[in-house]
Amino acid sequence: MWYHKPVVNKELLQSLPNLRIVASSGVGIDHLDLNLLSSFGVKVSNTPFIVSTDTADLGMALMLASSRRLVEGYEMAVSPDTEYFPADWLGAEVSGATLGIVGMGTIGYKVAERAKAFEMKILYHNRSQRKKEEESAVGAVYCKKIDDLLQQSDFVLLAVNLTPQTHKLIGKRELELMKPTATLINISRGLVVDQDALVEALQNKVIKAAALDVTYPEPLPRDHPLLKLKNVIITPHIGSATKKTRRIMMEEMTESIQAGIAGLPIPHEVL
Amino acid sequence: RPTIDRELLESLPNLKVIGNSGVGVDHLDLKMISSFGVKVTNTPHAVADPTADIGMALMLASARRLVEGCQIAVSPDTKHFAVDWLGVEVTRATLGIIGMGSIGYKVAQRARAFNMRILYHNRNRRRKEEEEAVGAHYCEKMEDLLQQSDFVMLIVNLTPETRRLIGKKELGLMKPTATLINISRGAVIDQDALVEALQSKVIRAAALDVTYPEPLPRDHPLLKLNNIIITPHIGTATVQAIHMMAEEAIANILAVLNGQPIPSEV
Repeated sequence: MWYHKPVVNKELLQSLPNLRIVASSGVGIDHLDLNLLSSFGVKVSNTPFIVSTDTADLGMALMLASSRRLVEGYEMAVSPDTEYFPADWLGAEVSGATLGIVGMGTIGYKVAERAKAFEMKILYHNRSQRKKEEESAVGAVYCKKIDDLLQQSDFVLLAVNLTPQTHKLIGKRELELMKPTATLINISRGLVVDQDALVEALQNKVIKAAALDVTYPEPLPRDHPLLKLKNVIITPHIGSATKKTRRIMMEEMTESIQAGIAGLPIPHEVL
Repeated sequence: RPTIDRELLESLPNLKVIGNSGVGVDHLDLKMISSFGVKVTNTPHAVADPTADIGMALMLASARRLVEGCQIAVSPDTKHFAVDWLGVEVTRATLGIIGMGSIGYKVAQRARAFNMRILYHNRNRRRKEEEEAVGAHYCEKMEDLLQQSDFVMLIVNLTPETRRLIGKKELGLMKPTATLINISRGAVIDQDALVEALQSKVIRAAALDVTYPEPLPRDHPLLKLNNIIITPHIGTATVQAIHMMAEEAIANILAVLNGQPIPSEV
Protein backbone atom coordinates (compact mmCIF):
# COMPACT_ATOMS: atom_id res chain seq x y z
CA MET A 1 0.00 0.00 0.00
CA TRP A 2 1.05 3.58 -0.63
CA TYR A 3 0.37 6.36 1.82
CA HIS A 4 -2.70 5.38 3.79
CA LYS A 5 -4.59 3.78 0.95
CA PRO A 6 -6.41 1.55 0.90
CA VAL A 7 -7.81 1.97 4.41
CA VAL A 8 -7.13 -1.33 6.13
CA ASN A 9 -10.18 -1.96 8.32
CA LYS A 10 -12.26 -4.91 9.49
CA GLU A 11 -14.46 -4.94 6.35
CA LEU A 12 -11.48 -5.05 4.03
CA LEU A 13 -9.79 -7.84 5.98
CA GLN A 14 -13.01 -9.87 6.13
CA SER A 15 -13.36 -9.55 2.36
CA LEU A 16 -9.81 -10.83 1.80
CA PRO A 17 -9.66 -14.16 3.67
CA ASN A 18 -6.47 -15.23 1.91
CA LEU A 19 -4.55 -12.07 2.66
CA ARG A 20 -1.12 -12.98 4.06
CA ILE A 21 0.69 -9.69 4.23
CA VAL A 22 0.26 -5.95 4.04
CA ALA A 23 3.41 -4.32 2.74
CA SER A 24 3.38 -0.64 3.67
CA SER A 25 5.53 1.96 1.92
CA GLY A 26 7.78 4.15 4.04
CA VAL A 27 8.65 3.74 7.70
CA GLY A 28 5.53 5.07 9.46
CA ILE A 29 2.88 2.54 10.46
CA ASP A 30 0.63 4.83 12.46
CA HIS A 31 -2.12 4.36 9.86
CA LEU A 32 -2.29 0.59 10.51
CA ASP A 33 -4.15 -1.12 13.35
CA LEU A 34 -1.53 -3.73 14.18
CA ASN A 35 -3.74 -5.54 16.69
CA LEU A 36 -6.52 -5.85 14.14
CA LEU A 37 -4.18 -7.20 11.48
CA SER A 38 -2.65 -9.63 13.92
CA SER A 39 -6.09 -10.91 14.88
CA PHE A 40 -6.65 -11.77 11.20
CA GLY A 41 -3.26 -13.50 11.01
CA VAL A 42 -2.02 -10.92 8.50
CA LYS A 43 1.63 -9.91 8.66
CA VAL A 44 2.87 -6.34 8.19
CA SER A 45 6.09 -5.01 6.65
CA ASN A 46 7.44 -1.50 6.06
CA THR A 47 10.53 0.03 4.41
CA PRO A 48 12.25 1.47 7.47
CA PHE A 49 15.79 2.51 6.61
CA ILE A 50 15.81 3.38 2.95
CA VAL A 51 13.75 6.53 3.53
CA SER A 52 16.15 7.93 6.10
CA THR A 53 18.62 9.94 4.04
CA ASP A 54 16.03 11.50 1.73
CA THR A 55 13.89 12.49 4.69
CA ALA A 56 16.88 13.97 6.49
CA ASP A 57 17.78 15.84 3.30
CA LEU A 58 14.28 17.25 3.09
CA GLY A 59 14.46 18.35 6.73
CA MET A 60 17.61 20.30 5.88
CA ALA A 61 16.01 21.65 2.70
CA LEU A 62 13.00 22.93 4.66
CA MET A 63 15.18 24.50 7.35
CA LEU A 64 17.31 26.30 4.75
CA ALA A 65 14.37 27.33 2.58
CA SER A 66 12.45 28.72 5.53
CA SER A 67 15.36 30.51 7.14
CA ARG A 68 16.55 32.14 3.93
CA ARG A 69 13.00 32.85 2.69
CA LEU A 70 13.67 30.93 -0.48
CA VAL A 71 10.08 30.56 -1.67
CA GLU A 72 9.31 34.25 -1.05
CA GLY A 73 12.55 35.19 -2.76
CA TYR A 74 11.72 33.07 -5.79
CA GLU A 75 8.31 34.71 -6.05
CA MET A 76 9.95 38.13 -5.95
CA ALA A 77 12.52 37.12 -8.57
CA VAL A 78 9.85 36.05 -11.07
CA SER A 79 6.99 38.42 -10.21
CA PRO A 80 5.83 40.68 -13.06
CA ASP A 81 5.76 43.58 -10.58
CA THR A 82 9.41 43.35 -9.52
CA GLU A 83 11.46 46.36 -10.63
CA TYR A 84 14.49 45.99 -8.36
CA PHE A 85 15.68 43.79 -5.52
CA PRO A 86 15.38 45.61 -2.15
CA ALA A 87 18.61 45.85 -0.18
CA ASP A 88 16.93 45.48 3.21
CA TRP A 89 15.26 42.15 2.49
CA LEU A 90 16.84 39.69 4.92
CA GLY A 91 16.57 36.14 6.17
CA ALA A 92 18.29 34.46 9.09
CA GLU A 93 21.45 32.40 9.15
CA VAL A 94 21.42 28.62 9.47
CA SER A 95 25.18 28.26 9.93
CA GLY A 96 26.06 28.56 13.60
CA ALA A 97 22.44 28.50 14.81
CA THR A 98 21.01 26.06 17.37
CA LEU A 99 19.04 23.07 16.08
CA GLY A 100 16.85 21.08 18.46
CA ILE A 101 16.01 17.61 17.16
CA VAL A 102 12.97 16.00 18.75
CA GLY A 103 13.27 12.30 18.00
CA MET A 104 16.82 11.09 17.47
CA GLY A 105 16.15 7.86 15.60
CA THR A 106 17.78 7.00 12.28
CA ILE A 107 16.36 10.04 10.52
CA GLY A 108 17.02 12.43 13.41
CA TYR A 109 20.62 11.29 13.62
CA LYS A 110 21.17 11.80 9.90
CA VAL A 111 19.81 15.32 10.25
CA ALA A 112 22.33 15.88 13.03
CA GLU A 113 25.18 14.64 10.82
CA ARG A 114 24.20 17.15 8.16
CA ALA A 115 23.58 20.04 10.52
CA LYS A 116 26.99 19.57 12.11
CA ALA A 117 28.63 20.51 8.82
CA PHE A 118 26.82 23.84 9.02
CA GLU A 119 28.47 24.35 12.42
CA MET A 120 25.10 24.22 14.11
CA LYS A 121 24.83 23.67 17.82
CA ILE A 122 22.77 20.47 18.14
CA LEU A 123 20.42 19.62 21.00
CA TYR A 124 18.23 16.54 21.00
CA HIS A 125 15.37 15.05 22.95
CA ASN A 126 14.63 11.34 22.73
CA ARG A 127 12.95 8.61 24.75
CA SER A 128 16.44 7.37 25.57
CA GLN A 129 19.84 8.98 25.44
CA ARG A 130 22.14 7.92 22.64
CA LYS A 131 25.57 6.41 23.30
CA LYS A 132 28.33 8.84 24.14
CA GLU A 133 30.27 8.11 20.95
CA GLU A 134 27.16 8.71 18.86
CA GLU A 135 26.59 12.04 20.61
CA SER A 136 30.22 13.12 20.21
CA ALA A 137 30.30 12.20 16.55
CA VAL A 138 27.70 14.89 15.81
CA GLY A 139 28.29 17.14 18.79
CA ALA A 140 24.75 16.59 20.04
CA VAL A 141 23.74 17.51 23.58
CA TYR A 142 20.94 15.51 25.23
CA CYS A 143 17.99 17.40 26.69
CA LYS A 144 16.15 15.08 29.03
CA LYS A 145 13.37 17.65 29.28
CA ILE A 146 11.92 18.78 26.00
CA ASP A 147 11.38 22.22 27.56
CA ASP A 148 15.13 22.84 27.68
CA LEU A 149 15.42 22.05 23.98
CA LEU A 150 12.46 24.23 23.08
CA GLN A 151 13.75 27.23 25.00
CA GLN A 152 17.23 27.19 23.47
CA SER A 153 16.60 26.26 19.85
CA ASP A 154 16.51 28.51 16.80
CA PHE A 155 15.13 25.58 14.80
CA VAL A 156 13.03 22.77 16.28
CA LEU A 157 12.86 19.72 14.02
CA LEU A 158 10.35 16.92 14.69
CA ALA A 159 11.57 13.47 13.63
CA VAL A 160 9.59 11.21 15.97
CA ASN A 161 7.23 8.46 14.89
CA LEU A 162 3.54 8.93 15.60
CA THR A 163 2.37 7.01 18.66
CA PRO A 164 -0.18 7.76 21.38
CA GLN A 165 2.70 9.35 23.31
CA THR A 166 3.74 11.70 20.51
CA HIS A 167 0.22 12.68 19.44
CA LYS A 168 0.02 16.49 19.84
CA LEU A 169 3.49 16.46 21.37
CA ILE A 170 3.83 20.07 20.25
CA GLY A 171 0.90 22.15 21.47
CA LYS A 172 0.25 25.62 22.78
CA ARG A 173 2.53 25.16 25.80
CA GLU A 174 5.44 23.87 23.77
CA LEU A 175 5.08 26.57 21.13
CA GLU A 176 5.15 29.25 23.82
CA LEU A 177 8.33 27.79 25.25
CA MET A 178 10.00 28.26 21.89
CA LYS A 179 11.85 31.49 21.07
CA PRO A 180 9.78 34.06 19.17
CA THR A 181 12.57 33.95 16.56
CA ALA A 182 12.39 30.16 16.23
CA THR A 183 11.18 28.00 13.35
CA LEU A 184 9.32 24.69 13.70
CA ILE A 185 10.10 22.03 11.08
CA ASN A 186 7.96 18.90 10.84
CA ILE A 187 9.09 15.86 8.86
CA SER A 188 7.35 13.33 11.10
CA ARG A 189 3.54 13.22 11.05
CA GLY A 190 0.98 16.01 11.03
CA LEU A 191 -0.67 14.75 14.23
CA VAL A 192 2.51 15.25 16.26
CA VAL A 193 1.60 18.94 16.18
CA ASP A 194 -1.61 20.47 17.53
CA GLN A 195 -2.43 22.21 14.28
CA ASP A 196 -4.92 24.68 15.72
CA ALA A 197 -2.36 25.75 18.32
CA LEU A 198 0.20 26.11 15.53
CA VAL A 199 -2.08 28.36 13.50
CA GLU A 200 -2.59 30.61 16.50
CA ALA A 201 1.12 30.66 17.35
CA LEU A 202 2.03 31.64 13.80
CA GLN A 203 -0.70 34.28 13.56
CA ASN A 204 0.40 35.88 16.84
CA LYS A 205 4.11 35.56 16.04
CA VAL A 206 4.64 33.39 19.12
CA ILE A 207 7.12 31.64 16.86
CA LYS A 208 8.63 33.06 13.70
CA ALA A 209 7.76 30.44 11.12
CA ALA A 210 6.99 26.82 10.33
CA ALA A 211 8.01 24.47 7.54
CA LEU A 212 5.89 21.33 7.23
CA ASP A 213 6.28 18.30 4.98
CA VAL A 214 3.39 16.69 6.83
CA THR A 215 -0.02 17.90 7.97
CA TYR A 216 -3.28 16.39 9.10
CA PRO A 217 -5.00 15.62 6.84
CA GLU A 218 -2.99 15.51 3.63
CA PRO A 219 -3.80 17.55 1.73
CA LEU A 220 -5.26 20.18 4.05
CA PRO A 221 -8.73 21.45 3.19
CA ARG A 222 -8.31 24.28 0.72
CA ASP A 223 -9.71 26.85 3.12
CA HIS A 224 -7.41 25.88 6.01
CA PRO A 225 -5.74 28.85 7.75
CA LEU A 226 -2.27 27.26 7.41
CA LEU A 227 -2.47 27.75 3.64
CA LYS A 228 -2.96 31.48 4.05
CA LEU A 229 -0.16 32.30 6.47
CA LYS A 230 2.90 34.01 5.07
CA ASN A 231 5.28 32.49 7.58
CA VAL A 232 4.61 28.84 6.65
CA ILE A 233 5.96 26.67 3.90
CA ILE A 234 4.25 23.36 3.23
CA THR A 235 5.46 20.58 0.98
CA PRO A 236 3.22 17.68 -0.12
CA HIS A 237 4.75 14.86 2.00
CA ILE A 238 7.75 14.36 -0.24
CA GLY A 239 10.23 13.15 2.37
CA SER A 240 11.01 9.99 0.45
CA ALA A 241 10.02 11.22 -3.01
CA THR A 242 13.11 10.54 -5.08
CA LYS A 243 13.47 8.16 -7.98
CA LYS A 244 16.16 5.97 -6.44
CA THR A 245 14.54 5.67 -3.05
CA ARG A 246 11.08 4.89 -4.39
CA ARG A 247 12.54 2.20 -6.58
CA ILE A 248 14.26 0.58 -3.63
CA MET A 249 11.10 0.90 -1.54
CA MET A 250 9.20 -0.99 -4.25
CA GLU A 251 11.90 -3.67 -4.34
CA GLU A 252 11.76 -4.06 -0.57
CA MET A 253 7.97 -4.23 -0.55
CA THR A 254 8.07 -6.85 -3.29
CA GLU A 255 10.60 -8.92 -1.35
CA SER A 256 8.46 -8.75 1.76
CA ILE A 257 5.36 -9.76 -0.17
CA GLN A 258 7.09 -12.69 -1.82
CA ALA A 259 8.41 -13.90 1.51
CA GLY A 260 5.02 -13.44 3.13
CA ILE A 261 3.25 -15.46 0.48
CA ALA A 262 5.87 -18.21 0.62
CA GLY A 263 5.61 -18.39 4.39
CA LEU A 264 9.29 -17.46 4.76
CA PRO A 265 10.80 -14.97 7.25
CA ILE A 266 9.75 -11.49 6.13
CA PRO A 267 12.38 -8.77 5.67
CA HIS A 268 11.36 -5.56 7.42
CA GLU A 269 8.50 -7.20 9.26
CA VAL A 270 6.73 -4.96 11.74
CA LEU A 271 6.12 -6.91 14.89
CA ARG B 1 25.75 51.74 -5.82
CA PRO B 2 26.86 54.49 -6.16
CA THR B 3 28.49 53.88 -9.53
CA ILE B 4 32.18 54.61 -9.07
CA ASP B 5 33.20 56.46 -12.20
CA ARG B 6 35.68 59.13 -13.15
CA GLU B 7 33.31 62.02 -12.35
CA LEU B 8 32.64 60.75 -8.86
CA LEU B 9 36.33 60.25 -8.08
CA GLU B 10 37.23 63.65 -9.47
CA SER B 11 34.59 65.23 -7.22
CA LEU B 12 36.07 63.53 -4.12
CA PRO B 13 39.75 64.56 -4.09
CA ASN B 14 40.26 63.51 -0.46
CA LEU B 15 38.85 60.03 -0.94
CA LYS B 16 41.27 57.46 0.49
CA VAL B 17 39.35 54.22 0.40
CA ILE B 18 36.30 52.51 -1.03
CA GLY B 19 35.08 49.91 1.46
CA ASN B 20 33.03 47.45 -0.56
CA SER B 21 30.50 45.29 1.27
CA GLY B 22 30.51 41.76 -0.06
CA VAL B 23 33.40 40.00 -1.75
CA GLY B 24 32.81 40.60 -5.48
CA VAL B 25 34.58 43.58 -7.02
CA ASP B 26 33.68 42.96 -10.66
CA HIS B 27 31.57 46.14 -10.64
CA LEU B 28 34.65 48.27 -9.85
CA ASP B 29 37.21 49.51 -12.37
CA LEU B 30 40.21 48.71 -10.19
CA LYS B 31 42.79 50.24 -12.54
CA MET B 32 40.93 53.52 -12.75
CA ILE B 33 40.38 53.73 -9.01
CA SER B 34 44.02 52.93 -8.37
CA SER B 35 45.07 55.73 -10.70
CA PHE B 36 43.37 58.13 -8.28
CA GLY B 37 45.39 56.67 -5.39
CA VAL B 38 42.25 55.26 -3.79
CA LYS B 39 42.39 51.87 -2.09
CA VAL B 40 39.65 49.25 -2.41
CA THR B 41 38.69 46.74 0.29
CA ASN B 42 36.06 43.99 0.43
CA THR B 43 34.54 41.68 3.09
CA PRO B 44 35.46 38.09 2.21
CA HIS B 45 34.97 36.60 5.66
CA ALA B 46 31.45 37.80 6.30
CA VAL B 47 30.06 36.35 3.10
CA ALA B 48 31.42 32.83 3.15
CA ASP B 49 28.99 30.99 5.46
CA PRO B 50 25.72 32.53 4.26
CA THR B 51 26.68 32.15 0.60
CA ALA B 52 27.68 28.52 1.10
CA ASP B 53 24.34 28.00 2.85
CA ILE B 54 22.42 29.48 -0.08
CA GLY B 55 24.32 27.20 -2.47
CA MET B 56 23.21 24.20 -0.42
CA ALA B 57 19.67 25.60 -0.10
CA LEU B 58 19.39 25.99 -3.89
CA MET B 59 20.78 22.53 -4.58
CA LEU B 60 18.36 20.90 -2.14
CA ALA B 61 15.37 22.99 -3.24
CA SER B 62 16.00 22.22 -6.90
CA ALA B 63 16.67 18.50 -6.43
CA ARG B 64 13.60 17.96 -4.26
CA ARG B 65 11.39 20.33 -6.29
CA LEU B 66 10.63 22.30 -3.17
CA VAL B 67 9.13 25.38 -4.81
CA GLU B 68 6.87 23.31 -7.07
CA GLY B 69 5.90 21.22 -4.06
CA CYS B 70 4.91 24.31 -2.07
CA GLN B 71 2.77 25.46 -4.96
CA ILE B 72 0.98 22.10 -5.08
CA ALA B 73 0.52 22.05 -1.31
CA VAL B 74 -1.30 25.41 -1.30
CA SER B 75 -2.98 25.43 -4.71
CA PRO B 76 -6.79 25.75 -4.64
CA ASP B 77 -6.93 22.98 -7.28
CA THR B 78 -5.07 20.35 -5.25
CA LYS B 79 -7.31 17.44 -4.28
CA HIS B 80 -4.69 14.83 -3.44
CA PHE B 81 -0.93 14.46 -3.48
CA ALA B 82 0.29 12.39 -6.43
CA VAL B 83 2.31 9.34 -5.41
CA ASP B 84 4.45 9.38 -8.55
CA TRP B 85 5.66 12.94 -8.08
CA LEU B 86 9.42 12.60 -7.62
CA GLY B 87 12.61 14.59 -7.26
CA VAL B 88 16.22 13.45 -7.32
CA GLU B 89 18.54 12.57 -4.48
CA VAL B 90 21.21 14.79 -3.01
CA THR B 91 22.74 12.24 -0.61
CA ARG B 92 25.46 10.24 -2.38
CA ALA B 93 25.14 12.26 -5.58
CA THR B 94 28.19 13.86 -7.23
CA LEU B 95 28.76 17.58 -6.70
CA GLY B 96 31.18 19.42 -8.98
CA ILE B 97 32.42 22.69 -7.48
CA ILE B 98 33.85 25.16 -9.96
CA GLY B 99 35.84 27.64 -7.92
CA MET B 100 37.21 26.26 -4.68
CA GLY B 101 37.91 29.46 -2.76
CA SER B 102 36.63 30.13 0.76
CA ILE B 103 33.00 29.81 -0.23
CA GLY B 104 33.59 26.75 -2.41
CA TYR B 105 35.43 25.03 0.39
CA LYS B 106 32.62 25.69 2.85
CA VAL B 107 30.17 24.22 0.34
CA ALA B 108 32.39 21.14 0.15
CA GLN B 109 32.37 20.83 3.95
CA ARG B 110 28.58 20.91 3.98
CA ALA B 111 28.14 18.60 1.02
CA ARG B 112 30.42 16.02 2.56
CA ALA B 113 27.95 15.58 5.42
CA PHE B 114 25.41 14.51 2.79
CA ASN B 115 27.85 11.77 1.66
CA MET B 116 28.21 13.54 -1.66
CA ARG B 117 31.08 12.69 -3.95
CA ILE B 118 32.91 15.98 -4.40
CA LEU B 119 34.83 17.02 -7.51
CA TYR B 120 36.35 20.47 -7.91
CA HIS B 121 37.97 22.60 -10.55
CA ASN B 122 40.10 25.56 -9.58
CA ARG B 123 42.91 27.71 -10.96
CA ASN B 124 45.19 25.99 -8.46
CA ARG B 125 44.94 22.69 -6.74
CA ARG B 126 44.32 22.78 -3.00
CA ARG B 127 46.70 21.16 -0.54
CA LYS B 128 46.32 17.42 0.00
CA GLU B 129 45.16 17.83 3.60
CA GLU B 130 42.50 20.29 2.52
CA GLU B 131 41.28 17.90 -0.19
CA GLU B 132 41.24 14.96 2.17
CA ALA B 133 39.39 16.87 4.88
CA VAL B 134 36.38 17.19 2.58
CA GLY B 135 36.99 14.20 0.32
CA ALA B 136 37.34 16.40 -2.75
CA HIS B 137 38.88 15.18 -6.02
CA TYR B 138 40.66 17.71 -8.23
CA CYS B 139 39.63 17.89 -11.88
CA GLU B 140 42.38 19.67 -13.77
CA LYS B 141 40.10 19.73 -16.78
CA MET B 142 36.72 21.28 -16.20
CA GLU B 143 35.29 18.89 -18.82
CA ASP B 144 35.93 15.93 -16.51
CA LEU B 145 33.98 17.62 -13.74
CA LEU B 146 31.10 18.54 -16.04
CA GLN B 147 30.73 15.03 -17.40
CA GLN B 148 30.61 13.33 -14.01
CA SER B 149 28.58 15.70 -11.86
CA ASP B 150 24.94 15.46 -10.88
CA PHE B 151 25.14 19.00 -9.52
CA VAL B 152 27.51 21.66 -10.88
CA MET B 153 27.96 24.67 -8.59
CA LEU B 154 29.66 27.87 -9.77
CA ILE B 155 31.59 29.69 -7.07
CA VAL B 156 34.21 31.61 -9.03
CA ASN B 157 34.70 35.36 -8.96
CA LEU B 158 33.87 37.24 -12.13
CA THR B 159 36.97 38.11 -14.12
CA PRO B 160 37.68 38.32 -17.85
CA GLU B 161 38.68 34.64 -17.63
CA THR B 162 35.47 33.48 -16.01
CA ARG B 163 33.04 35.56 -18.07
CA ARG B 164 30.82 33.06 -19.96
CA LEU B 165 32.80 30.21 -18.43
CA ILE B 166 29.69 28.07 -18.85
CA GLY B 167 28.35 28.19 -22.38
CA LYS B 168 26.75 25.89 -24.92
CA LYS B 169 29.74 23.55 -25.03
CA GLU B 170 29.95 23.19 -21.25
CA LEU B 171 26.20 22.69 -20.87
CA GLY B 172 26.38 20.05 -23.59
CA LEU B 173 29.04 18.19 -21.60
CA MET B 174 26.86 18.03 -18.50
CA LYS B 175 24.64 15.01 -17.82
CA PRO B 176 21.04 15.43 -19.00
CA THR B 177 20.06 14.64 -15.40
CA ALA B 178 22.33 17.33 -13.97
CA THR B 179 21.49 20.60 -12.25
CA LEU B 180 23.47 23.85 -12.61
CA ILE B 181 23.64 26.07 -9.53
CA ASN B 182 25.05 29.60 -9.73
CA ILE B 183 25.99 31.56 -6.63
CA SER B 184 28.81 33.51 -8.28
CA ARG B 185 27.85 36.17 -10.85
CA GLY B 186 25.26 36.05 -13.62
CA ALA B 187 27.85 36.85 -16.29
CA VAL B 188 29.76 33.63 -15.57
CA ILE B 189 27.05 31.88 -17.55
CA ASP B 190 26.10 32.48 -21.17
CA GLN B 191 22.46 33.07 -20.32
CA ASP B 192 21.11 32.57 -23.83
CA ALA B 193 22.87 29.21 -24.01
CA LEU B 194 21.37 28.34 -20.62
CA VAL B 195 17.84 29.15 -21.79
CA GLU B 196 18.30 26.90 -24.80
CA ALA B 197 19.80 24.09 -22.73
CA LEU B 198 16.92 24.19 -20.25
CA GLN B 199 14.28 24.37 -22.98
CA SER B 200 15.79 21.41 -24.84
CA LYS B 201 16.37 19.42 -21.63
CA VAL B 202 20.11 19.30 -22.34
CA ILE B 203 20.37 19.62 -18.55
CA ARG B 204 17.64 18.84 -16.02
CA ALA B 205 17.39 22.14 -14.19
CA ALA B 206 19.11 25.28 -12.95
CA ALA B 207 19.02 27.21 -9.68
CA LEU B 208 20.37 30.76 -9.81
CA ASP B 209 20.91 33.28 -7.05
CA VAL B 210 22.53 35.59 -9.61
CA THR B 211 21.63 36.65 -13.13
CA TYR B 212 22.59 39.36 -15.56
CA PRO B 213 21.07 41.85 -15.10
CA GLU B 214 19.41 41.75 -11.70
CA PRO B 215 16.50 41.68 -11.82
CA LEU B 216 15.99 40.11 -15.24
CA PRO B 217 13.64 41.92 -17.63
CA ARG B 218 10.13 40.71 -16.85
CA ASP B 219 9.73 39.13 -20.26
CA HIS B 220 12.98 37.13 -20.05
CA PRO B 221 12.60 33.47 -21.06
CA LEU B 222 14.34 32.31 -17.85
CA LEU B 223 11.32 33.52 -15.89
CA LYS B 224 8.95 31.31 -17.86
CA LEU B 225 10.76 27.98 -17.60
CA ASN B 226 9.50 25.49 -15.05
CA ASN B 227 12.84 23.75 -14.54
CA ILE B 228 14.53 26.73 -12.96
CA ILE B 229 14.47 28.48 -9.62
CA ILE B 230 15.79 32.00 -9.25
CA THR B 231 16.40 33.87 -6.01
CA PRO B 232 17.00 37.64 -5.86
CA HIS B 233 20.76 37.64 -5.04
CA ILE B 234 20.27 36.77 -1.39
CA GLY B 235 23.58 34.97 -0.82
CA THR B 236 24.46 37.34 2.01
CA ALA B 237 20.98 38.48 2.91
CA THR B 238 20.92 37.55 6.57
CA VAL B 239 20.81 39.81 9.58
CA GLN B 240 24.06 38.34 10.84
CA ALA B 241 25.88 38.73 7.52
CA ILE B 242 24.82 42.35 7.10
CA HIS B 243 26.25 43.16 10.52
CA MET B 244 29.45 41.28 9.85
CA MET B 245 29.91 42.91 6.46
CA ALA B 246 29.44 46.35 7.98
CA GLU B 247 31.95 45.57 10.73
CA GLU B 248 34.44 44.12 8.28
CA ALA B 249 34.07 47.09 5.91
CA ILE B 250 34.50 49.57 8.76
CA ALA B 251 37.56 47.76 10.09
CA ASN B 252 39.09 47.93 6.64
CA ILE B 253 38.28 51.61 6.19
CA LEU B 254 39.70 52.54 9.59
CA ALA B 255 42.86 50.57 8.88
CA VAL B 256 43.41 52.56 5.70
CA LEU B 257 42.72 55.91 7.35
CA ASN B 258 45.00 55.07 10.28
CA GLY B 259 47.79 53.81 8.07
CA GLN B 260 47.61 50.31 9.56
CA PRO B 261 47.80 46.88 7.82
CA ILE B 262 44.63 46.44 5.82
CA PRO B 263 42.77 43.17 6.48
CA SER B 264 41.14 42.75 3.08
CA GLU B 265 42.64 45.03 0.51
CA VAL B 266 41.81 44.13 -3.08
